[in-house]
Amino acid sequence: MSYFRITLMRSGIGLPKRTQGVLKALGLRQRMKTVFYPVTPEVAGQIMKVKELVAVREVDRALTKHELKAERKPDPGFYMERAARR
Amino acid sequence: MIELGSQISLPNSKMLSRTLKRSISDHIPSSSLPPTFLLPCRARYFNSTTQHVEPALDSSSIPPAVAPAASANPATPTASPIKKQLLRSVPLRPPPIATPLTLDASVKEMLPLLAVQPEHYISIHIHGKPYLVRKGDSVRLPFQMPGVVPGDVLRLNRASSLGSRDYTLKGTPYLDERIFQCRATVIGTEAEPMRIKEKTKRRNRKVKTVRSKHKFTILKIAELRVKNIDELREG
Repeated sequence: MSYFRITLMRSGIGLPKRTQGVLKALGLRQRMKTVFYPVTPEVAGQIMKVKELVAVREVDRALTKHELKAERKPDPGFYMERAARR
Repeated sequence: MIELGSQISLPNSKMLSRTLKRSISDHIPSSSLPPTFLLPCRARYFNSTTQHVEPALDSSSIPPAVAPAASANPATPTASPIKKQLLRSVPLRPPPIATPLTLDASVKEMLPLLAVQPEHYISIHIHGKPYLVRKGDSVRLPFQMPGVVPGDVLRLNRASSLGSRDYTLKGTPYLDERIFQCRATVIGTEAEPMRIKEKTKRRNRKVKTVRSKHKFTILKIAELRVKNIDELREG
């Protein structure tokens, strides 16, 4: 089962209430928020309503909140090689 | 022997206590003394502001009942709490990279030239932030690194550029970590002077004072080495 990965790139401020309602229905409350929905005609229609504001990708599975956070987090860049006596 | 006797026979009790103290201090084993880099005369050189070095946890603070059990079977999940804390906060050695190292023809040609030049700089990334360092530099990180104590050796494996006087190797965006070897030693923790900020609201005489005093970990770049082409071929 494939999913839409939808990210809000531009804010809906100043757009018609109906467009803002679509964003709210998709759960896109702030810029750069990412949501996952299964690929269905209903979701495709919603995306078409706000296609100027979002970036869409088709992915195999929906990521959890923690996986999304781990994706944004930079690599620590170090590891413990030899620990001092403690 | 005669001197000792004469000192004891003195009526001054202060003298006696001093001798006793000296004799006790002679018998302290060197392992229980703090390491030399924590001595005030050594620690002062990297620090111009207020100084706060956290001493390495004394081994006597570990309950003796836990320590031998942990050393007997370190692989079991029921390790000592300190070991657990270390595991949680400091990244441990990642598994070796399975994919073979591939280098561009130009890199293969120029890397030996870079390696033979005497001094190198490297731009290492710790938590995504770059630090341009050379060997022997001390770095004051803008945060206190959790779970490390003075004397720990960290391997720094993310770098975006590596260079010498005439050559620079740039990563896309990062270099392969097998090309170089960079190690840092944790020197200690430094604290900034206490900052006091007064917060006020309009039409109100209350003044709130907010205090803040942050701690920073200090690293010293102990080793920076560019590997030879032969070493890269081997592993």
